[in-house]
Amino acid sequence: MTDRGAAEVARVTGAVSDLVEQVFVTVSRVREGVLSSVERNGLRAGSWVPPDGVSELLREPGQLAVGLGLVVAPRPELDLTQRLEWWQVDPDAGGQLHTLEPDLRPMSLGFYDYTTAEWYDVPRRTGRRHAFGPHVDVHGTGRYLLTLTEPVVAESGFVGVAGADVPVRRFEASLLEALGHLPVPFVVLNAEERIVLSTAPRWLVGALVPPGGVSAGPVAEVPGTPWRVRLVREESVLRP
Amino acid sequence: MQLLSGDARRAVFAPLDDGALRSEAVVRRVGSAIGLGLLADGEQLPTETDLATMLNVSTMTLREALSELRKLGLVQTRRGRGGGSFVCSREDVLAELADARLAELGTTDLRELGDVHGAVAAAAARLAASRASRTETARLRDLVDRLASAGSVTGQRRIDGRYYIELAACAQSVRLTMQEMDLHLELGQLPWPPAHSPGLLDVIVAGHRAVVDAIEDRDAARARALAEAHVETRTLWAIELRLQRLGDAAAPRSEREVS
Repeated sequence: MTDRGAAEVARVTGAVSDLVEQVFVTVSRVREGVLSSVERNGLRAGSWVPPDGVSELLREPGQLAVGLGLVVAPRPELDLTQRLEWWQVDPDAGGQLHTLEPDLRPMSLGFYDYTTAEWYDVPRRTGRRHAFGPHVDVHGTGRYLLTLTEPVVAESGFVGVAGADVPVRRFEASLLEALGHLPVPFVVLNAEERIVLSTAPRWLVGALVPPGGVSAGPVAEVPGTPWRVRLVREESVLRP
Repeated sequence: MQLLSGDARRAVFAPLDDGALRSEAVVRRVGSAIGLGLLADGEQLPTETDLATMLNVSTMTLREALSELRKLGLVQTRRGRGGGSFVCSREDVLAELADARLAELGTTDLRELGDVHGAVAAAAARLAASRASRTETARLRDLVDRLASAGSVTGQRRIDGRYYIELAACAQSVRLTMQEMDLHLELGQLPWPPAHSPGLLDVIVAGHRAVVDAIEDRDAARARALAEAHVETRTLWAIELRLQRLGDAAAPRSEREVS
């Protein structure tokens, strides 16, 4: 690895990591809000995410997330069914907040089966935070998203998953802005070898990289995520 | 009343395209949404004013549509406190509505609808072959297994629709996913061919399985070709059902049944 390559991959990884951590700060605040509600009012209380706090969080300057909240772990023994407390900013309505009310009836074509979704299931199983995507949030927001989540565990056990939705477009724009000048071509890959972000036109966001697909450039892991940054050799596609 | 706001719901209450006979378009849209389970039995519809605004029709048109839905027995209106319009899911009525819709359409309308669905599904299958993760492929396979064992017409329809929408989501494309949702609200207005000839469900299941196999093999060209051919087959079914109606109209057959 050349020194320049090493420095560049470190710079990109640092910038990716900064953005990710910024979103997880928001997620943690949602989680803390939920925990204090649960500890104060118990598991049966109607709602756990304090709406004032949510509104403040979503309106913070520089906020990357367009949606955030809690998805509740269904616990039939406590009469807790599938439920979301999720708020979104509606960019078409002057930044108005509204709740996401997806269809939670299994018999519907539009059933939002979140308990099988990776962004819910991984934190539930591992007890650790997770960065999922890019994915089409089908039957939910219908957007192309990165969803960053962490488990909410109270004394009484697993309460659900706190999370934030960041549009892929917004994450890309913020990263490119943070990197300043046009960076060397790189891709950010997730654990399933899917391209999360790319500055090489041949490697499209959302594509899976086949085994041996990307040239072996310098790599660095993005701490606390299933992501890694890899520099790629890339020639312009604009040359005939 | 809190309205559901998932993306499929947005499609149900999206503005209707301009065109004649708009109250009938409202009736068909509501009918297919009930058939697909997007509007549940007993669920309250938005107020007349809200519904008219969402669908971009006049209150007059909307009232006509609601009155027709009441006559059909798909909506019940209760007056007074806690009143409003409520959905009644009735498979027999939905089947009659689908037959009536089929009789209105020409074979070219059915071909056009099939052409678009073929283009969308084929593109989704091709992209899914290079973009679907193992988990996603397993989920598609699970949907096809559930389709094979679904008992009711509405159950089969919903799972078939979910399969196509998931396929488009596996392509990592919001636009293809939304296209599939809109297409299924339209396809849901037509008769379900396995209701007329139960063996066709096996053809659908085999067709989807072959596409999922190709996706699993990462064979984009095969996934595309199979998905396209399957939609073409189904378009021909719809066209034949349509042409059979001509025969029925000329000489009503006793074995004709509404399922």
